[in-house]
Amino acid sequence: MSGEIKVAIRDLRKQFVVSHSGIASIKSLLLFWRKRSYVHLEVLKGISLEVRGGECVAVIGKNGAGKSTLLSLLARIYKPTSGTLEVRGRVAPLLELGAGFHNDLTGLENIYFNAVILGLTREQVKDRLNSIVEFSELGDAIEAPVRTYSSGMMARLGFAIAIHVDAEVLIVDEVLAVGDQRFEHKCLERVEQFRRDGGAILLVSHQLPTVEKFADRVVWLKDGVIEMEGEPSAVIAEYTLRG
Amino acid sequence: MIKEFKELWRYRELLFVMVQRELRIRYKNSALGVLWSFLNPLAQVAVMSFVFSNFLRQDVPSFTVYMLAAYLPFIFFQSSVLDSAQSVLTQYGLIKKIYFPREILPIAAVIANMIHLLIGFLIMFGLMLLGYIRDPRVFPFQAGMVYLPFLLIVSTLFATGVSFIVSALNTFYEDVKYICQIGLYLLMYLCPIVYFVEQVANSKKNYDSGWLLYKLYMLNPVAVQCVAYRKALVAPVPTMSAGGMGMPTGMPWKYLAFHSVGAVFVFLFGYWLFNRLKWKFVERP
Repeated sequence: MSGEIKVAIRDLRKQFVVSHSGIASIKSLLLFWRKRSYVHLEVLKGISLEVRGGECVAVIGKNGAGKSTLLSLLARIYKPTSGTLEVRGRVAPLLELGAGFHNDLTGLENIYFNAVILGLTREQVKDRLNSIVEFSELGDAIEAPVRTYSSGMMARLGFAIAIHVDAEVLIVDEVLAVGDQRFEHKCLERVEQFRRDGGAILLVSHQLPTVEKFADRVVWLKDGVIEMEGEPSAVIAEYTLRG
Repeated sequence: MIKEFKELWRYRELLFVMVQRELRIRYKNSALGVLWSFLNPLAQVAVMSFVFSNFLRQDVPSFTVYMLAAYLPFIFFQSSVLDSAQSVLTQYGLIKKIYFPREILPIAAVIANMIHLLIGFLIMFGLMLLGYIRDPRVFPFQAGMVYLPFLLIVSTLFATGVSFIVSALNTFYEDVKYICQIGLYLLMYLCPIVYFVEQVANSKKNYDSGWLLYKLYMLNPVAVQCVAYRKALVAPVPTMSAGGMGMPTGMPWKYLAFHSVGAVFVFLFGYWLFNRLKWKFVERP
């Protein structure tokens, strides 16, 4: 399974329409109908990229270079303006703290909800429930509403779910800041195993040491185009020099 | 549209979980739970029934049941539309992070309200049964009940269609929600809930206008639904109490047929519009 192309991106472009009239309302739409001013903002200007199974590709670049847009396109949150984007298998985004959790529901109820969103059936969730709870190390707290959780607990639960949905592509926006060192180590080990099993990882991070340690390949995005791509050490060296 | 529908079908598990979540969240921290969804209309109907039977000479026996039969479907429509209007925005954090067919959000809101409607009807039947035990001269359940599934399908299609439109537009212009709130509040008075459609038909205005008023009145799809539910579930109104003159109008088949076809079109149009706009939700200007 390893080596097979998991993500194929060809000449990907993404344009956003930005309104200058601020918050939209029907009033402003009618009043300023003729003065409507939209600016087309091209965030990605033709990106081509391939990620194979077992590979961890890191995307680096300044704020606004288009890193998050690229990941969102992969997660099918945006539609590309042009170009193609093919993903083989299931994509699991590692969500920011608690995004997608409902505060009034218990940890268990949230596991069902999130895992089903990511593509499991309820039957499958039931089978993996023990494993998820065990990995998150939440113990009895899993029966308590998520609003009582600490940020670390939420992150652990989020990670535990994402790693259990049989994804073939894992999207990680900013590094796994999941609680204490020991748990972080456990997560990284798990991600490592995911990679050995032939999964592909796309990672966005500003922490260059982490990137250098994990990535097999680094892509440097600058103003919506790939400035440089290749060996982590080489790209990072160039990035810190010219960045 | 067929492609979108297949995608939706693939995500049916999520729809189920979403409805479950909607039902759980709403009454999560209340002792009476889902009963609230019925206590609220029941209290309203009780007060209205008291006022109308005592002060306004709407002296129909078991007026409460007549009101419920029309008011519960109205509430279904009202809450479906208002809940869906908000549905995309309340989940905005989620849709910016994960992909799933966005139409699941308004559909889940409608289904959750449909479940409330069904519970409401069950309790209403309980009330009718209670009335029968107290006074066994008239059997309260009607043969027209067989039309109930058909009516439910029509109302669901119509409510879902309107919900698609409202939730898609409200994501861009939050004014839509406020317009709906006012509109639905006013619409309630244009539906035969606290009065009878016979009173509209038998009004002097209607005769003077050569039945034009009645035809205009029945252009309101929710009014047609209210009439249809009432005709199907409750005994015909006694002629004398229904405005004094003329005959009680039966099931409005002609209007119902129009409305059913219309509901399908509203549904298809709403679905089409929602699908057109859904990719813009996360990048609204």
